[in-house]
Amino acid sequence: MNKYILQVKNISKKFGNVQALNKVNFSLEEGIVYGLLGENGAGKSTLMNILSGIYMPDSGIIQIRDTLIKKLNPEIASNYGIGMVHQEFRLIENFTIKDNLILSKSNKFQNNFEQIYQKYSEIFALNLKSSTYISELSVGEKQKVEIIKLLFNNSSIMLLDEPTAVLTPQETQQLKLSLEILSKSEKKTIVLITHKLKEIREFTDKIYILKNGNMVAQNLTTSATKDIDLIQLMMGEINRSEIKKDNIKGRSKLEVKELSLYSNQNFEILNNISLEIKSGEILGVAGVSGNGQVELANVICGLIKNYKGSIYISNINVSKKGVKSRKKLKLSYIPENRLGVGLAPGVSVLDNSAIKEYFKARYGPHLSSKKLKTYLSSLINQFAIKAPDIKAEISTLSGGNMQKLLMGRELIANPDVIVASQPTRGLDFNAVEAIHKLLVEQRNQGSAIMLFSEDLDELFKLSDRIIVMFEGTIIKEFSLEEFSIEKLGLAMAGINE
Amino acid sequence: MNKYILTKKLKANELSTFYSFLFGLIIAFLIGSIILFLQSKNPLDVFSLMIKLSVGSLNSLSNSLNKATPLILAGLGISIINSVKLWNIGAEGQIFMGAIALNFVYINLAIGNSNVFILVLLVSGFIGGSFCILIPALAKTIFGVNEIITTLLTNYIVIGLTLYLVNGVWKDPNSLNFPAAAYVDKSVYLPIITSKLSSGFLICIFFTFIAYYLKEKSVFGYELRIAGGSELTALYAGIKSKQVAFIAMLIGGGFAGLAGAIELLSQTHRVSTGLSQGFGYTAIIVAAITGMRPIGIFLVGILFGALSIGGSVIQTIGVSSYLAEIIQASTLFGALIIQFFFTYEVKKVQDV
Repeated sequence: MNKYILQVKNISKKFGNVQALNKVNFSLEEGIVYGLLGENGAGKSTLMNILSGIYMPDSGIIQIRDTLIKKLNPEIASNYGIGMVHQEFRLIENFTIKDNLILSKSNKFQNNFEQIYQKYSEIFALNLKSSTYISELSVGEKQKVEIIKLLFNNSSIMLLDEPTAVLTPQETQQLKLSLEILSKSEKKTIVLITHKLKEIREFTDKIYILKNGNMVAQNLTTSATKDIDLIQLMMGEINRSEIKKDNIKGRSKLEVKELSLYSNQNFEILNNISLEIKSGEILGVAGVSGNGQVELANVICGLIKNYKGSIYISNINVSKKGVKSRKKLKLSYIPENRLGVGLAPGVSVLDNSAIKEYFKARYGPHLSSKKLKTYLSSLINQFAIKAPDIKAEISTLSGGNMQKLLMGRELIANPDVIVASQPTRGLDFNAVEAIHKLLVEQRNQGSAIMLFSEDLDELFKLSDRIIVMFEGTIIKEFSLEEFSIEKLGLAMAGINE
Repeated sequence: MNKYILTKKLKANELSTFYSFLFGLIIAFLIGSIILFLQSKNPLDVFSLMIKLSVGSLNSLSNSLNKATPLILAGLGISIINSVKLWNIGAEGQIFMGAIALNFVYINLAIGNSNVFILVLLVSGFIGGSFCILIPALAKTIFGVNEIITTLLTNYIVIGLTLYLVNGVWKDPNSLNFPAAAYVDKSVYLPIITSKLSSGFLICIFFTFIAYYLKEKSVFGYELRIAGGSELTALYAGIKSKQVAFIAMLIGGGFAGLAGAIELLSQTHRVSTGLSQGFGYTAIIVAAITGMRPIGIFLVGILFGALSIGGSVIQTIGVSSYLAEIIQASTLFGALIIQFFFTYEVKKVQDV
């Protein structure tokens, strides 16, 4: 008998020119909780999707117990007992819990449903009747049903993709207990995909680490590994291309005082955030995505209202002011979501180019199309945008040109304050360099820049200071002299030394 | 392995809507010809008779233009609302509501100067149309209720209201038991320009330009386009997307209400269930064929008006007037199919 329940050998997968996985090995034993750690884009999801039969690997071997698997699709994977809980739940909202649980072909508890449901709902502390509709459940409860669904499908290997991202701390604790019971008494093998170090430590027995498609660490014993080693393995070396940081900082341009924000369910999204950015300064904001960065940017730029605290632009209190009044104080916002927030899909290039300043082209109710066109052609010239047809939909532009149009639109008037969220995400090398140059130019002209980024190279290259956000708070601030990848990584994981 | 995928064309063809309309029209006439063949009629004879009797003389041209007026106005209203990607299926009800509001004001108000009175009556027709779409607009703005369903449902409510009024409180004792309200006085009829052409058509030209200006040249139209593209972008741009959509719906409903008012003051001269012969529904076809462009709506509206007139006269040679409606509907079908090929292209890609 093989001691491994699942063995993956030399699996590779390429998407276009991107090597998502490169000869990856991954072996699981029965009854153990594994952590699969890695940054965004490291290949975690690709690996999990291969195991659950959604993607076909280009090469490599998958062996389940003693059987060599020739072909894997979702049905075969689930017959072999591999089940996955995705980040976006796959439940049918207007079905009951019971309907969802017995939906699958491989479900084996049709006859004694209530008895088994009783047992698992106790393990998960799910105090709901099986006749409850999914649409009445909270996010945490839905997730419990998703996991129980795997048990009903008789999965022996359970892949959980970022299960704690949507949970409160109490729910996370409950999940930890439930998973412990499943692994110890039911001999389930559980793989937890996450980039939160704290949870890796609390939940798992063994750790695998992926970086840029390579498995850089295998089967580490959690209790014998230090956080700092994990971070080094996960993030590796930083390429620091130099930008001169001899910029002179002037007067305060953006100030945020004691800012807090609560969700509709009274869930804390931002907690007591205070910060100040001076003219000619770039403040980098680091953090694992989903720790309040998007909301902070939206609050500062006026898209989210109903917050507590105050915001000052060039020493003018704008807390009660709307988007347009903030823009008039020379605030520019480059949102994370390019197409959908910064640019309107289905609308022409010309209309999109005018979103920031269209009210300057108005005469009463009249909108001067001549002014709009002049404005666009100056953008196209100054920022080298390739736009073959200005009346065509914005989606006819390439990603890089879309971002250049958005950046150009926001920067051409030399704003006092720039809030830039993930400005280079998904762009190729040349476009990234061009956008960095634009931001540095603005800095040198005296803008105060707040740069949200998940790319640490970018943050180190451009920032004069870096703050790290964790669960809605600023957990740590680093000055230029204190920049270090290890300390930053620890802070991002919620560890403040 | 090679795969074929559908992608949107990079360059928008400015005239694509026009070409697809033309193709659609040809397809529609082919379908019409087949139907005529099956009835052993010569299509060429029938179509030339239709053309002769719809645009062949000043008299028949006037009829066609009068018929086109409500189609164009209601179509313009639909196109204004569609700027923010909302669909108004309730133009038929708004047309009736415009006529009802007009009649209500006519009964309860007396103004000596007939020109002023006509103006007041037209305005009340516009307001009646706006009022008709008010509940769908509020439901959309506050609760996000799908406007396609609510505007459609208001049609049935308004037609029920019309039936109630013309069979009840407003029933004309001199109508020989025909369910209709009393005729309005001749002094408030819209003046005739020449032959049979009503000055309602001039109002229609004027409102075509208003719609064109609103949609293409005004700040309001710009805000509608952005809000229609993405609500989040509108929020980001500082545009109150719900507010502009609400106003657009009221204006669009008003256009259809005005169509009803003009129809009453120039053609039927009274409220009855026959006031609109499905103008509000045909207007949807007109607006959709032209890609919601006001000038296009004006031209296609005239064509469809002429088709209706032509359709009604060919009955005299034993061809059903439904032929015109078949042609109108097939034009939309044909145009939509052709439009697809103008917007998308089939590309060969390498399997990855």
